[in-house]
Amino acid sequence: MEDETRLSQQLSQALGEAGYAVDCAADGERADFLGQTERYDAVVLDLGLPSVDGLTLLHRWRDAGLTTPVLILTARGSWHEKVQGIDRGADDYMSKPFRMEEVLARLRALIRRSSGQTSPELRCGEVALDPRVAKVTRNGTPVRLTSHEFRVLSYLMHHCGRVVSQSELTDHIYAEGADRDSNTVEVFVARLRRKLGASFIETVRGLGYRVNSSRADR
Amino acid sequence: MKRPRSFRLRLLIGSILWTGGLLFVGHVTSILVMHRFPTVRINHNTLIGIAIALGFMAAGLLQMRTGLSPFNELRSRLSSMRDGRNRRVEGDYPTEVQPLVNDLNALLDLREHAVSRAVAKAGDLAHGLKTPLAVLAQEAERARRAGQAELAAAIDQQVDRMRRQVDYHLAHARAAASGAAPGARCAVAESAEGIARTLRRLYAERGLAISVDVPVDHSAQVHREDLDEMLGNLLDNACKWARTRVTIDSARDSRDGAAIVITVNDDGPGIEPSMYDLVLQRGVRADEAAPGSGFGLAIVRDLADLYKGSIALDSSPGGGLRARLTLPAC
Repeated sequence: MEDETRLSQQLSQALGEAGYAVDCAADGERADFLGQTERYDAVVLDLGLPSVDGLTLLHRWRDAGLTTPVLILTARGSWHEKVQGIDRGADDYMSKPFRMEEVLARLRALIRRSSGQTSPELRCGEVALDPRVAKVTRNGTPVRLTSHEFRVLSYLMHHCGRVVSQSELTDHIYAEGADRDSNTVEVFVARLRRKLGASFIETVRGLGYRVNSSRADR
Repeated sequence: MKRPRSFRLRLLIGSILWTGGLLFVGHVTSILVMHRFPTVRINHNTLIGIAIALGFMAAGLLQMRTGLSPFNELRSRLSSMRDGRNRRVEGDYPTEVQPLVNDLNALLDLREHAVSRAVAKAGDLAHGLKTPLAVLAQEAERARRAGQAELAAAIDQQVDRMRRQVDYHLAHARAAASGAAPGARCAVAESAEGIARTLRRLYAERGLAISVDVPVDHSAQVHREDLDEMLGNLLDNACKWARTRVTIDSARDSRDGAAIVITVNDDGPGIEPSMYDLVLQRGVRADEAAPGSGFGLAIVRDLADLYKGSIALDSSPGGGLRARLTLPAC
């Protein structure tokens, strides 16, 4: 959520290159709408948004029970403002100007913490995924994945053991408004099965997909 | 213009003149009365009359004293505003003084408004600069990836310098304004808890133990924003270097209790004693690439100076750095 177009472009480009699907909102109302209707892994929030300011927005989300991790990225860098941001429910606070690697590192940490993982590397059975370098290995051998395959896999592995519906996956891998086709998720899952072993991703009929460390062990 | 004589003197001269006139009129009247009733002699009744007259005079003096007392009160109110106990001149005053007090309060309102507007403008300027700086920093990153490492480094360095300048002068503008506006009072515990809460989030990855041990009745004569800024910089610096733990506590000055001493300890590597004065100096690390502590501590020192406090560094019992911030208590 950032109102300066150039910066917004730079951020979404960097996040996209790091393997995330990104939606941008340039004003508070739109950000509020997206935040309440879409399921995000993390939100990067500017405080000085037009129409509704960032802190109010954050307060609204937390009141509504939204637990999505929020990283505040703002020009307002005084300690008093940082305390306010954190007290309103932000999970991290960075002031401008910033280093993109640091934003990425902190977002990774937030997503990891929010999904209950403690080590940066995700591991399910014989497959390991390192979000820092977008690298996937199976039994220690590197596996080459396209960026969409990587997104699908990383989402499934972030929620290891839980059934993830097809629409949730679609939401996650495509930016909002992109040309979505739910069949493509099936295609990506099929390709991932080919690369990582057929039993690694389990289809739960009528519900969705699940990766399971115990199944993968067999 | 002639320098006006003292208020008291004028009142005194006025009342002497008034009494003189009155005496003369009284004298003439009594002569007339004596001529009309020549048989009356001095007796018991005249003594009572004199006693009553003396009583009236004493009451008159008392009246004058109490009449002037609102000025003493006004003076003590003004001095209490200066040391920050009050924000406005309060209380009811005699009809002649009340308009003056009202005007004074209106002037204070106006000034406070002007100062806060100026600070807001300084903030807008600073924040307006930071977003373009952020864009510039990302362009430098792009240049680096395109193989222009030297150009990227040059831009980065300048962006960093500008950011530090903006941060430093913004903190200063804010503090100068709040130092000028009277009525500062802040509970140290509230500010310290807030900062600790924030830093626990910001350094969540490091799992640092940040403990706050500040009695709830310790208040300092500073504005909340500025105490937040001082403690934020001190604790952030401690967290940057600490291995496992950071502590903050406070004590009243052992001599007369007129000051609060806030101590921040970390268990990091500490710094060389010869560097203590240097890191508190403005801009010591401004040109170095490392994420330095110098600038943050310099802001703390400047803010402390502004509030007639001080900051001192030495080594903590655990081997790390110990920072002691002294501020006037209230």
